[in-house]
Amino acid sequence: MGSLGQEIAELWGEHLGREVGVEDDFFTIGGNSLSGIKIIEQVTEQYGVTLSVRDFYLAQTPARVAELIEQGRTGA
Amino acid sequence: MRLTPGPARDVDLTGVDLFDLDLYGSGDPHPLWDVMRARAPLFHQVLPDGREFWSVTRYEDVRRVLSDHREFTSERGTVPTHLGTDDPAAGVLMTSTDPPRHTEVRRPLGSKLTARAVRVWEERIRATVVRFLEPALDGAVFDLAEQALLLPALVTGPLLGIPEKDWEELVRLTAMVTAPSDPHFLLGSEAATLAISHHELLTYVRDWARTHRAAGQEDESLLHHLTSVRPGGEPLSDEEIALDGYSILLGANVTTPHTVSGTVEALMERPEQYAKAAADPTLVPNLVEEGLRWTSAACNFMRYAVDEVEIAGGTVPAGGAVVAWIGSGNRDASVFPDPHTFDITRDGAKRHGAFGFGPHFCIGAPLARMTLRVFFEELLARFESLEPAGEPQHLRSYFIAGLTHLPLTGKKRRTTP
Repeated sequence: MGSLGQEIAELWGEHLGREVGVEDDFFTIGGNSLSGIKIIEQVTEQYGVTLSVRDFYLAQTPARVAELIEQGRTGA
Repeated sequence: MRLTPGPARDVDLTGVDLFDLDLYGSGDPHPLWDVMRARAPLFHQVLPDGREFWSVTRYEDVRRVLSDHREFTSERGTVPTHLGTDDPAAGVLMTSTDPPRHTEVRRPLGSKLTARAVRVWEERIRATVVRFLEPALDGAVFDLAEQALLLPALVTGPLLGIPEKDWEELVRLTAMVTAPSDPHFLLGSEAATLAISHHELLTYVRDWARTHRAAGQEDESLLHHLTSVRPGGEPLSDEEIALDGYSILLGANVTTPHTVSGTVEALMERPEQYAKAAADPTLVPNLVEEGLRWTSAACNFMRYAVDEVEIAGGTVPAGGAVVAWIGSGNRDASVFPDPHTFDITRDGAKRHGAFGFGPHFCIGAPLARMTLRVFFEELLARFESLEPAGEPQHLRSYFIAGLTHLPLTGKKRRTTP
């Protein structure tokens, strides 16, 4: 779980062009819908989980997005 | 915000907050702008979080800021809601792009939206307007502001190529974009609400274009046109199509309804003007221009000063955000004598800046003008009079001046033409 959060933080970092921590807030570090569209697409490709748009933006940190992916994998 | 201002008052401009949502939701900004035009035509404001901007309120200054991209760029964003955050869509989204690229993309799109090009839609729009007004004909209370939110969808849906089943959701999403902090729409935070609505709108247009392209469909719709134009010899990218399609949707959905309801409100307050227009339908085109001036639904747009610049008797530093208050410029007495008088026979009403000025002049203006003309022709022909049936309510937004509720009852004419 910790490592998945770290992976998501790195994925965000690639799109936002900066270092991202697992508890960083998406909007505070310059995230927006254009980067969000790309990140959600990449999560679908890499993890086979389609995140709900609403859940993604309300989760707001890599750690919580990782939880969403875990939930998606277990079909919860 | 009140469109007919209350009594003029002497305002102390110290500490005035032009981004105070209450000023627009329940207040009266016109007396404030009157004082600014007279005494502080360049008004500097620092928000509690440290962001700052300069406001221009006089007609000529508004025109200059919006027209001259060399002095005032659009490439860092044009909507004051995003003040201080550079627009991530700069140089891609047409509204956030300066000439020459802007001109390259705009020209082929504009060719589909000239007065001549939109004329073929007139009778279809008329039929839509007639259907729209029907429920008000039986004398029951009709909430025009609420109903009018769907009007652009009814009118532009077929033109854009968007199926009817999708419109309700798209109207909701565009409304979220304009009032993200409104409790009706708020999801988590204002930033999250904006991102969710932007995301949904952008992916809607992008998926529309992808499906359309995959199916090899060809039609006359504006979205299809977006997928087929080749500005500078290259087709638009999916991202450009999504952003410009989004921008067109937003432009159509969030402004026209408020011009319709604000103009009707002005006519209800002045039955003699209503009677005058009904007696002489040739006055309708000027009624539309006066309604556009009066309502100024797009209340302002923002630019950033490229270099340090002298304007309105003051100096804006290089990189400073400048908000051009269209709603104020359209009440500037040096251009519109007795500016707070709603007069459907006003000379020069058409000089208003409700569609902006310069390269970013509203691309949909010919369609909006035609739709508004048809709307008022049909309204005046069908109703002998209109009466308020409750308190109007206003949108809590400093960007879009609008009504959320305008309950009214109509008295049907005995003889409809």
